[in-house]
Amino acid sequence: MRKYLARRAAYAAVTLLGVSLSVFVILRILPGDPLVAILGVEGHARMTPADRVRIMADLGLSDPLPVQYARWLVDIAAGELGKSFFRGDTVAELILHRGPISAEIGILALVVSWLVGLPVGILSAFKPNSIPDGLARAMSVLFIAIPGFWLGMLIVLALLFWFGYKAPIIIVHFWQDPWQNLQIVIGPAVVLGLAQGAYIARMSRSCLLEVIGEDFVRTARAKGLREGLIVMRHALPNALLPVITISGVLLGFVLGGSVAVEQAFGVPGLGRALVTAVIERDIIVVQNLVLLYAAIFVLVNVLVDLSYAWLDPRIRYS
Amino acid sequence: MSDYPSDSRSSRLDRRTFLKRTGVAGAAAVVAARLPAPVPASAQDMTVRPEAGAKRGGTLRYAVHNAPAHFDVHQSGTVANIGPQSPMYDTLLRRSPKDGQTIIPDLAWKWDISPDNRKYTFHLRKGVKFHDGADFTAADVKATYERIARPPKGVVIPRTPLFATVGDIVVVDPHTIEFRMTEPRPKAYMLGAFASGWNIIVRKKTLEENQGNLRQVMNYPGTGPFKHVSRKDKEVWIMERNPGYWNKGLPLIDRLEVYHFLPFTPELGASLLSGRVDYARLLDPVTWRKAREMKGVTAAAFNQSVIQAFWTNMQKNKALADRRVRRAIHLAMDRHTLVEVVKDTAPMQVGGFVYPFHEMSTPRAELEKKLGYQRDVTPAVQEARRLMKEAGYGGGIKNLDFVVRDIPTFKLWAVAIQAMLKEHLNIECNLRVVQTSVWFDEAQAGNFDLAISAIVSTLMDPSDIFSAWYGKDGPQNYSRWTNPAFHDVASQVEREIDDNKRKQLVRKAEDMLEQDPPLIPVAYEQIYDAWYNKVRGQNPSTYFGIYDVVRWDQVWLA
Repeated sequence: MRKYLARRAAYAAVTLLGVSLSVFVILRILPGDPLVAILGVEGHARMTPADRVRIMADLGLSDPLPVQYARWLVDIAAGELGKSFFRGDTVAELILHRGPISAEIGILALVVSWLVGLPVGILSAFKPNSIPDGLARAMSVLFIAIPGFWLGMLIVLALLFWFGYKAPIIIVHFWQDPWQNLQIVIGPAVVLGLAQGAYIARMSRSCLLEVIGEDFVRTARAKGLREGLIVMRHALPNALLPVITISGVLLGFVLGGSVAVEQAFGVPGLGRALVTAVIERDIIVVQNLVLLYAAIFVLVNVLVDLSYAWLDPRIRYS
Repeated sequence: MSDYPSDSRSSRLDRRTFLKRTGVAGAAAVVAARLPAPVPASAQDMTVRPEAGAKRGGTLRYAVHNAPAHFDVHQSGTVANIGPQSPMYDTLLRRSPKDGQTIIPDLAWKWDISPDNRKYTFHLRKGVKFHDGADFTAADVKATYERIARPPKGVVIPRTPLFATVGDIVVVDPHTIEFRMTEPRPKAYMLGAFASGWNIIVRKKTLEENQGNLRQVMNYPGTGPFKHVSRKDKEVWIMERNPGYWNKGLPLIDRLEVYHFLPFTPELGASLLSGRVDYARLLDPVTWRKAREMKGVTAAAFNQSVIQAFWTNMQKNKALADRRVRRAIHLAMDRHTLVEVVKDTAPMQVGGFVYPFHEMSTPRAELEKKLGYQRDVTPAVQEARRLMKEAGYGGGIKNLDFVVRDIPTFKLWAVAIQAMLKEHLNIECNLRVVQTSVWFDEAQAGNFDLAISAIVSTLMDPSDIFSAWYGKDGPQNYSRWTNPAFHDVASQVEREIDDNKRKQLVRKAEDMLEQDPPLIPVAYEQIYDAWYNKVRGQNPSTYFGIYDVVRWDQVWLA
């Protein structure tokens, strides 16, 4: 197990190094001048070449690229993550302030996806081709097809025009005011969760359909066990493995989707910070946030792999 | 504290003194009656005072443009800085919050201008303190204006050209300062420059401690009506009333919360409509119209010093170097339709080469009679086709590279302009949508045939735009346009100190621009504000732009 963990950690480190290098290079070869955002349109137009040299040096952008990359890696190792080009705030501060909101949205979305997707999948599998099954399949296709940001905008507008309501406009953490906090995170979590729930419903339905055709389920039925017990104790644990695998993949979608959905709901989380940083060409913030998202994705996938052994005693890591 | 120096002499009045003073006053009245009426744009006795019946207290929640990219107001050109930071600072002079135009005292309680317009003397208030407790003196004004007029390396200040003719800045005494000009400029121009909301007074010591660069200094002390409390990046900037403010009785509100939202977004609109904020600026038209219908809410529209235009690269494209082709393109634009195209995205109005609402430019009614601005575009299109034929492009032009800034209004306009050019002149162009930062790279490098964007002037005065937008080496002359005759007139406009003569010169310059367009005007921006009626003491309907009156000191909550 230890060997397995060490190997996975090494793979993860190599993956993250690759991500960091790709992000670093891509951000520096993309066209566009960050000084437009820093100086504004008028200031940028009046900037002399000497001013440009001075400002680029102040921002640390005039050093050779390998030096800049090495400095970033050192910053990451020191846990500092560098400073935004703008306003001088550190990326670590940004993550500490906004990260909890995005994390709450991600976790809640995952909970919603399981709470919705699994019962719908079970219902569909045990009543195949029935009206509830057809309805569930239609709804799951619908939620997969609808873009989250669009659904988010509809919800925001409906709440505004019918009830004159909008969620709080600045971050309120759970420990500061749980009720206000819930108002901020619930919308994006539900939108993201429903889309992922649709995938889980479809996956759990197909896995369960496969499992309930197995001999051991027939044996359980022949023994006279109640249908509920058959599902919960015998069929479901054997069908869950692929569902858990897809949940890990879906978390990537949640992370990616949260960028647009946070924007639609106006939630000041990390996703929105990333959008703003991209618009401002604040490459220090962008590269750190992309790396953070990649690190979360890698970590979740390692945890998913490890959970297999716990769910299926036949699997051993050696 | 008094605004005026106290007179320690006896106030007793005997018969002889009374008769002398009466005589002097009478003579003064006769002389004054024969003098030309004072320029209405400035009033030295109008320091801001609280409205009758104004109440104190409360928190104002104000929503404005997204968070600033840095904290240096002098180096900025965006309301993202002016919006949240202005309330913490004062300027030498300011525009009255009553009408947004009249120039009134601020840290200078009085000013004198020499008869030859070569010397501006400002008499500064005594007893004014910065938020860190330091005394405000003429040395701070000198340090501030030396920096604006002659910025250190690596510091870029868009207002620097306004003070190009400022020579020596002389501290006469701690509360008197003189600006000596190398050559005279129109009074309205210079006073407007001194009253610009951008030119906040900062401490000499602050500038020295930060090597003249305040981009990353969040809370540098000002003398303004509000003091910094806290800031959450891209969320909110919170300020509290400055109890030691020099203008006694102001500000009226206890706390100011400035929320950051992208302009014209549904999110900004939703925040106002749901009551999360009390006052919102830069609203989208849909929200603004809804707010106007809401009970208990007031909505106002006012002018902004931003032109929306597209540039024609004269160096890269031979056809576009021909003034007849550019005039033809100018005439082929159906401007009323272009304003209509974006009516649900951003508020716009038709205009020409100078702000359509400026007293010196062609009045709107007159402008709309000219070709290119009429509602019926048929005569203009006929003339445009004739010009194209005369220039040898009667069959049209193909494959123009049209660079479009990735902003909703420009994307909508680009499609409409593409269609108008094709339909009216058989000019075919390929749209290339790029991010804002890329747009400015491409525009400055000359990698375009046509390029659409918006530019703002730093001062609401034709001289500023004649040099920045249309000047031979103007920083925003992206077309690389030159016209020696125009540059000569522009130079006269800059130097002419007689307002009537100056106005005639501006009209002459406008006519020249009509015939030889340096850019193709699309529209002029308007600003939509709305606020709940409990917010009193300000109505921006007559304001010029959003940069000069953002102090909130006179605003109160009912």
